[in-house]
Amino acid sequence: MTMARLMPSVFQTLLRRPAFEDGMAEEMRFHIEQYTDDLVRSGVPAAEAARRARREFGSVDNVKADCREARGLRLFDELSLDVRYALRRMRKSPGFTATALATLALCLGANLTIFAVVDAVLLRPLPFPASDRLVSVFNTYPKAGVPNDGCSLTNYYERRGRIAAFSGVAAYRDGTAIVGETGATEREPITRVSPDFFSTLGRGPVLGRAFTEEETRPQADMVAILTDGYWRQRLNGDPNVIGKKIRVNGFERAVVGVLPADFSFLSSRTRIYFPLSSEPEEHSPKQRHSGNSDLIARLRPGASLAEAQAQIDAHNAVLAQDGAPDNKMMADAGFRSLVVPLRADHVAAIRPVLLLTQAGALFLLLIGAVNLVNLLLIRASGRIKELAVRQAIGASRRHVVNEVMVETTLITLAGGLLGLAVGAGGIRLLGALGAEHLPLGAHIAFDARSAAVALTGAIVLGLAISLPIAWYNLRSYSAGALQSESRGGTANRAAQRLRHGFIVAQIALAFVLLAGAGLLGLSLDKVLAVSPGFHPEKVLSGRLSLPRKSYQDGPAVLAFTERLQAELGRQPGVLAAGVATNVPLSGTSNKSTAKIKGRTPQPGESPRGIYSYSVGGDYFTALGFSLREGRFLTAADSRRAERACVVDEDFARRNWPQGGALGQRLFQGSEEGPDAEAYTIVGVVGAVKQADLTDDEAQGAVYYPLGHRPDHDLFVVTRTSLPPDSFAAALQSVVRTLDPELPVNDVRSMRTRIADSLVARRSPALLAGLFSALAVLLTAIGTYGVLSYAVAQRRREIALRMALGARPEQIRAQFLTLTLRLLAAGTVLGIFGAWLTGRAMQAVLFHVPVLPVAILAGAGGILAIVSLAACLLPSHRAARISPMEALVEG
Amino acid sequence: MTKTADLLPGTLDMLILKAVSLKPLHGYGVLVRIKQISGDALEIPQGSLYPALYRLEHQELIAAEWGQSENNRKAKYYTLTEAGRRRLEEETAGWNRLASAIASALNTEPEPGGA
Repeated sequence: MTMARLMPSVFQTLLRRPAFEDGMAEEMRFHIEQYTDDLVRSGVPAAEAARRARREFGSVDNVKADCREARGLRLFDELSLDVRYALRRMRKSPGFTATALATLALCLGANLTIFAVVDAVLLRPLPFPASDRLVSVFNTYPKAGVPNDGCSLTNYYERRGRIAAFSGVAAYRDGTAIVGETGATEREPITRVSPDFFSTLGRGPVLGRAFTEEETRPQADMVAILTDGYWRQRLNGDPNVIGKKIRVNGFERAVVGVLPADFSFLSSRTRIYFPLSSEPEEHSPKQRHSGNSDLIARLRPGASLAEAQAQIDAHNAVLAQDGAPDNKMMADAGFRSLVVPLRADHVAAIRPVLLLTQAGALFLLLIGAVNLVNLLLIRASGRIKELAVRQAIGASRRHVVNEVMVETTLITLAGGLLGLAVGAGGIRLLGALGAEHLPLGAHIAFDARSAAVALTGAIVLGLAISLPIAWYNLRSYSAGALQSESRGGTANRAAQRLRHGFIVAQIALAFVLLAGAGLLGLSLDKVLAVSPGFHPEKVLSGRLSLPRKSYQDGPAVLAFTERLQAELGRQPGVLAAGVATNVPLSGTSNKSTAKIKGRTPQPGESPRGIYSYSVGGDYFTALGFSLREGRFLTAADSRRAERACVVDEDFARRNWPQGGALGQRLFQGSEEGPDAEAYTIVGVVGAVKQADLTDDEAQGAVYYPLGHRPDHDLFVVTRTSLPPDSFAAALQSVVRTLDPELPVNDVRSMRTRIADSLVARRSPALLAGLFSALAVLLTAIGTYGVLSYAVAQRRREIALRMALGARPEQIRAQFLTLTLRLLAAGTVLGIFGAWLTGRAMQAVLFHVPVLPVAILAGAGGILAIVSLAACLLPSHRAARISPMEALVEG
Repeated sequence: MTKTADLLPGTLDMLILKAVSLKPLHGYGVLVRIKQISGDALEIPQGSLYPALYRLEHQELIAAEWGQSENNRKAKYYTLTEAGRRRLEEETAGWNRLASAIASALNTEPEPGGA
């Protein structure tokens, strides 16, 4: 019979325990009565018969105990006894219990917090059926310095239905739209999607329908699918919403579907979906490399990523023979389309940081566990004799081990429950640290799954911790604790070595954690010291998206920006105002290419991706660019027929290493056009960090006048003499007076933008700092506990030595030496660990060597101070032992 | 009083299965029945009967049900389950093989003219 079949019967018996006990008593009573009756019938006197029946049956209690064991109940009885005993012991030493529980709560809570993030971002499947078959396909031009340029609509139309390994292909393009009636408009994040977007993901509207092929024609695209959130908040969850109209960018769109409540595509904050409509020329072969969309696909069951990649490569190779003029250039740029798992692609950048943070949390847990083992060992040594007596009078080894396991597991489980509370708080704290802005960060949740993992972890930890304690308890008996004095037995010496070994381990682990935190901090410091290339103080920026209905063409956009700049200039405190298609560190960047007039590319030379932006007004002054040569672009350049542009020093240096960029002419794109379309370089400005402060590679940038290269999506930038945030309201109201339907969003000072761009660096550094502080505290507690115990244990020896003339300083020095020895051993191990850690962390560090001396000195210094401080009180106590009292007591 | 034999280890379960295979019995009845079918030759130590019954019930070889005794008292009656019947058959066959092997071993005469 198998365990699995027997267990239910054991549980049934447990559940009906009172009935089981009653039945057993009744059965035995009946037996004895029947026997008595039989004896009486055979002629034995009644009183004698009852006595004999009871005697021959034997001890009813023993029989009952045997019966319970036969039913598999004994284990449970012992367990509940052990639990009660453990609880009593925990109550009797509140100091120990509180320390242990606090240690566990913090360590497990920290791990739970980080695990919730790791789970949401790296582990949990995306909320789509067979989500592991979803892939992302993007174009890469490595030789042009453009690793990921998304995909084009042309790619989508050329690939759908033609790649055998894909069962579905879909394109999407993120954007924003102004939604709502005049006076109550809001800018909402939207996504335009191809008709097969929802079917490729495997989830679509619960109300209404998905988009149709017909709706990809611009004449028939005025429809929308709402997310559940938008439907509930803006339309009160109207069940008859299908067919109703919403106003988008001034035009009416009919609602054709509503998505399920838990529909969420990657990190998208999109509230409304529109069809991705296009004119045929927008997806002609000429637009193949426009990179203005993203492409997802679903692998056919059984098809592998490699097959899909091979088919995409083959498909691209055929298309590269179609005679389009830029084929050669793209080949020179190393063009390829990569097929990567959707989720892995989405979280690739954050993965190492997250794993590192989780490793830090695990280190903290390890330190906490070591601490707990040491405290438990000390406690166990206080009851060596009790255990020895119990084993001598028949307590089995199994029972002694069980008892320890029950006690430690109880402690870790209780600590785990408290850790759940700490973890719930920690997840809130992460919100404050910006975890929601991580990819998939919105999925971070404290749920049954993470709680189950945490509690399982707590139980496993309890069992692991109980092993050394159980070993110690058993060993102390075999070593003859009954005969030995309270110290001097081999078990005590072994236990002492074990305790000291754990202190060394703890110091080493804390050292590694401190070094790791130091490396992250140093790296962050180096990043913060990087000059962004402009002056971010007192600069406010916000985003505008001019609807095409009111601003149909370039001149309309230009006219609006000119009015805006003029109006902003009239505001008190404004020093300069301008607009641009992008500001540095905005989180997005846009590269295209430029052709220098009269220069023929060398064979094999690939066109470079260059940051290309349009600017208006006094953009450069407002942002605080530095001027190297020539002049900045001004508002007048947008109105002038001769085209002027400004390039940055990186672009100038690459193309004219000997200087002389001024006066040179260039064309937008990869082809030379008519002379009238050439832009003359009128200025060279300092390079700015465009995408990230840690950008090391000089990409180059070209800035064009907005009037010659108009765009509807703009940033507005003001430099003020006041703190920038106090100008935010004024900026909003200026825009509203010019166009009541035009909201300004994403209003942030440039300082804030820089800070926000560093979330992925600052938050791990902060967390590591927090973990290190806890680790240092735990190390102090551990060292203090072990040394205090050593003093108490050697009280009589110390007293004797003092009675024989030892001076208190000598006693103090003895414990100081011990501490220094442990510290030295821990530090040596720690340096080795820190070196390994530094090597593992190189990928996330910025300009930091593997093992900086400052960090070693810092970590060593902190631990030295902490362990010496922890040793101060116990050694002081040792030096003040009164020989008389101690010897008389003994 | 007739001479009683000590039980061989492992034979108690077999005897209990046999006793309840004849008709449903309460605990005391099992004891009486074994004594009776062994011609008073076997006596079960009363203390080991109930642990054995509980173990067999736990192994689902016998089933228990509360009923009325002959003198109208509430009593727990044990019956043989299907699994118990198979086990009894196996044990009986095994026992018979063992018994005849031992008997033939013990009956062996010394070989004439051995070396």
